[in-house]
Amino acid sequence: MEYYDSFSLRRFHEDLERNAVSLAFHGSFSQDTIGLINISLQQNDNAKTLTKRIFSLVVEMAQNIHHYSAKKIYSEKFDREIGVGVLAISETEGYYIITSGNFIEQKDVLEIGERFEEINDMNDDELKTLYKERRKMPQRPDKPGANLGFIDIRRKSGNRINYEIIEKNNNNSFFILSAKINKSIN
Amino acid sequence: MENFFIESSTYIPKIDFNCETNILSIEGESYHEYTVEFFQPVFEWLDKFLAEPSKEITMNFKMTYFNTSSSRRFLEVLNLLEEYQDESEGKVTVNWYYEEGDIDMLESGEEYEEDVNIDFNLIPYSN
Repeated sequence: MEYYDSFSLRRFHEDLERNAVSLAFHGSFSQDTIGLINISLQQNDNAKTLTKRIFSLVVEMAQNIHHYSAKKIYSEKFDREIGVGVLAISETEGYYIITSGNFIEQKDVLEIGERFEEINDMNDDELKTLYKERRKMPQRPDKPGANLGFIDIRRKSGNRINYEIIEKNNNNSFFILSAKINKSIN
Repeated sequence: MENFFIESSTYIPKIDFNCETNILSIEGESYHEYTVEFFQPVFEWLDKFLAEPSKEITMNFKMTYFNTSSSRRFLEVLNLLEEYQDESEGKVTVNWYYEEGDIDMLESGEEYEEDVNIDFNLIPYSN
């Protein structure tokens, strides 16, 4: 078959199949998008707690993209600029893996790295304490988020979070976040 | 004053605050992306409701899911109720409902219970 451009749906599809990707979304992360992912997750027959934890990770990653992606597009329906990014749910024999990616501004690179270093080595009690301390702090001005998303991802995942920041030009870097959840929880 | 009611929808919970019975209920899923804006009318209503002292108030949470942004708003609601109890001769009871087996929702309730000094009941329900 002849392609109209260099994008190959066949290669893309093979890649999804090979990595057992059950859901992949690229675009702006509106409320509606997250709602649809929720419906799609309900259709599997996993234990409820597992499904809800996967959804928690999706929501926190999606809302992180929504608010903080350096690339945004205007939504007429919501009358706002909404962040653009990519998110995928894949699986291995023992884990579900939720991965998100979005552009971030160069000035945010250091802070993001430091925050993961801080939480990755914490145990459950330390994470709980940090979560509760952070929740009591006042809402940060000009930031719609609760400043709890990364801690919540780390807690619900139950594993270390992997991240990668790929330097690009024009003051932007691409930020990839990857969390896994054991399938055996119930 | 009038009762406050919002019907649930995809990412917003049902909110049913009744100023005649003094029973306030939040129920369902909550993952609005802008909870400061979404909950603003809720806090405005609460400010008026709590202006009058000595009420006996029941606050019900029956959540199936909420994001971190809502988590912060819920703590703010509980802090207001705690303050009302301490400074306005109020009596507040919180009922935190969780579906049987939902260990994460139970844990969320326990974490709020630890953070406020209010009568707190953790109540399982079966579906």
